[in-house]
Amino acid sequence: MKPLRALIRKELTVLFGSPMAYVSLTLVVLVTGLIFFEHLRIYNQILFLYASNTMGGFDTSTIPDQVNIRDTVFFPVMENLGITLIGLIPLITMRIFAEERSRGTDELLVTSQLSPGRIVAGKFLVTWSFVVLMMATSFVYPAMATVEGGIGLQNLLAIFIGLSLHAIGLASIGLACSAFTSSQLVAAVAAWAVGFVMWDFSWANPIVSESVARALDAIAMHPRYASFSEGIVDMADVAYFAGLALLCTSVARLSFDWRRVVG
Amino acid sequence: MSTGVAHLDTSTVPARGARVVTRGLTRRFGNHLALDDVSLEIRPGEAFGLLGANGAGKTTFIRNVTGFLLPSAGEVEVDGFSPVRDPEQVRARLGFVTETSRIYPDLRVSAFLRFCGGAHGLSGAGLSEAIARVVQRFHLEDVERRLVSHLSKGFLQRVSLAQAFLADPPLVIVDEPTSGLDPLQQEEVRSVLRGLRGERTLLLSTHDLGEARELTERVAVLYHGRLVAMGATDEVLAGEPLALFRGEECP
Repeated sequence: MKPLRALIRKELTVLFGSPMAYVSLTLVVLVTGLIFFEHLRIYNQILFLYASNTMGGFDTSTIPDQVNIRDTVFFPVMENLGITLIGLIPLITMRIFAEERSRGTDELLVTSQLSPGRIVAGKFLVTWSFVVLMMATSFVYPAMATVEGGIGLQNLLAIFIGLSLHAIGLASIGLACSAFTSSQLVAAVAAWAVGFVMWDFSWANPIVSESVARALDAIAMHPRYASFSEGIVDMADVAYFAGLALLCTSVARLSFDWRRVVG
Repeated sequence: MSTGVAHLDTSTVPARGARVVTRGLTRRFGNHLALDDVSLEIRPGEAFGLLGANGAGKTTFIRNVTGFLLPSAGEVEVDGFSPVRDPEQVRARLGFVTETSRIYPDLRVSAFLRFCGGAHGLSGAGLSEAIARVVQRFHLEDVERRLVSHLSKGFLQRVSLAQAFLADPPLVIVDEPTSGLDPLQQEEVRSVLRGLRGERTLLLSTHDLGEARELTERVAVLYHGRLVAMGATDEVLAGEPLALFRGEECP
């Protein structure tokens, strides 16, 4: 465990010693804030349109039930944030393995007491923790504003779990892509491609058979993420993201064996 | 041997140096034969030089010994342990200095040494003592608090050497330690390496004949992946040593 602890400490020092961590945290808070306040503005406009009557008064009884802060603000914000993360997280994960390889420091790592399994474990743990921290900071605005808006603390927790698992899944894909290249750009582009393709396979429905469409839907991220957004913590969805993370750690671990063979 | 490698049984690690043996070591990269049937033995405590022109296969040989690469054929043993089957045992015996100083530029020298010591299984007082020892030995007192990215090449190489000695390994592999350094920095690094002779097994890869004469007892010469000469340094390098680099007949 000592080598693993040393690696985790080093990863944290490098991560928080560079502007990347602060820039990405700020960016996520800004983007979430912008999306949130834009939806809040639209919500207020809809409210005003429904509630204003021709006599110049204000009648809230004319506002339909489906116009509420939960459905009009919170869910669209979560949906947008889910897609934004597909674009943002690869920018954080692209350097984690690829930079070690381009600098040649991976040779230093694998000739120490850090086995490839420990290297992968250390880097994944630090990255997962960072993206969960990122989600926590981005969640502050919507959470504070919607606790009073009929979401409920339990639902809010479910949504946060879903958001964190989605971020962990995307980070895992990004890390697996980073483990196979020394180019950060290639790592980021590969992670974007995998992330966007896996987000939603509904585009393939017209061109594939029904059974294939069902299979694709089963591996798509969006239906799982959407389920959390509705405040439901289904263990099948948790298992899906855990399986995705496990698969990606195994792929990253394999990259070390692959490199020993290929050179 | 090491005082701090706690999670491995180090009772079998010899005190003075490790023995390295390769038998029929062969490594291919696609159609390119980078190492061709190389068999040699490096004795415990010996300063052994690996010579050859650029592209002769020195780094590939070293990477097979450290376990960074798998051999296509043949085998490697470090104190009887294979880097393929027992990588942890081999790594427990190994200090490694890469061809160019590969150090994290965002870390301070002290943080880098702390990380390397930890990665070799050291912790607590053992780690602090090991860092103090190498800082003194490699004269890093003035740069200990500096960022690695602010160091000169000479200091980078010293830090790189220092990390290899943290866990007091019986085998130190140094890959072209003076490559890219100016003459003063080269002399600095050589003087450090001179002081290490006889302490432990030293495998030094170089294409500098003067460096090999000065620092090693025996050498092996590689040419296009083949072992073309091996023996006492003075004997192998007597006469026309450059002929060996060109793959001409052994002396």
